[in-house]
Amino acid sequence: MAEWVTFSIAAVVCWGIMGLLQKLTTNYISADSVLIWDRVGYLVLLPWLLGTSHLNNMGPGDILIGTLDGIANGLGAWFLYASLENGAKASVAVPLTALYPLLTVLLAVLFLGEKPRPLQWLGIALAVVAGVLMSREAPAAKHVDEKL
Amino acid sequence: MFEMSNRNKRRDLIPNVKGFPKWLLYALLSLFWWGIFGFLGKIGSDRISAAQMQIFLTIGALPLVLGCIIRLDFKIATHKLGVTYAILMGVFAALGLLAFFAAMKSLVGPVTSLYPALTVALALIVLKEKVGKAQILGLILAIASIVILSL
Repeated sequence: MAEWVTFSIAAVVCWGIMGLLQKLTTNYISADSVLIWDRVGYLVLLPWLLGTSHLNNMGPGDILIGTLDGIANGLGAWFLYASLENGAKASVAVPLTALYPLLTVLLAVLFLGEKPRPLQWLGIALAVVAGVLMSREAPAAKHVDEKL
Repeated sequence: MFEMSNRNKRRDLIPNVKGFPKWLLYALLSLFWWGIFGFLGKIGSDRISAAQMQIFLTIGALPLVLGCIIRLDFKIATHKLGVTYAILMGVFAALGLLAFFAAMKSLVGPVTSLYPALTVALALIVLKEKVGKAQILGLILAIASIVILSL
């Protein structure tokens, strides 16, 4: 099996479970608290990552991109938690927000000069229709009160 | 243990828009920021290793954590189950990201965004959520679009 397939399957399984846990945790605590505690989960892996990585070959630009990526990732996560907290179903909000590669592709076209093939334009059109269809679904419930 | 909401005291980041549910606005903002995350992740993964990306991604989110702590007036929820789910979610999210950055090394558009299929299956089984016809069609189209965009 090609290496990228193995990594992709690993990501799909981890994030699939993550999607369920997102809904479960927002049933109990607010988006703000979820972001705080979920980043603790990120920090758990940090000693292992620092122990197995060399950082001396990185330039300021690399560090800036990685850090900005963390901010964008954190903001995306917080807004998803807020959506779930405000009554979105996991089975609606998670697939809807997972359409983000659509924007990634558009940004790559605008800033990296990449040119999507006709098939990829079809993918973009399908993503827009899918987003509209999924967002028509009524939310599951009212938001939850914070349980301290 | 139930306690009165901190949420009511916190300011919502977005105002109410008539005819547009708040959860949808938040979901679209999430999609926007993750679109930028995917773009920066693609650029970063071409330059540095998956582990290096993950280290600085973790550090980059820390100012947001501080912002959330301030928004909560330093009263962070300690509900055992909620906190356990959140920390576990962080571990799975971080492991998924490591695999995502590693997959980016070998392929321009990895198919990692297929993960909602598993989430929806788990939501149906574990949370007993009901899925409408429009949503099923939307999910099928979303998976098809993700596969096509990954080709």
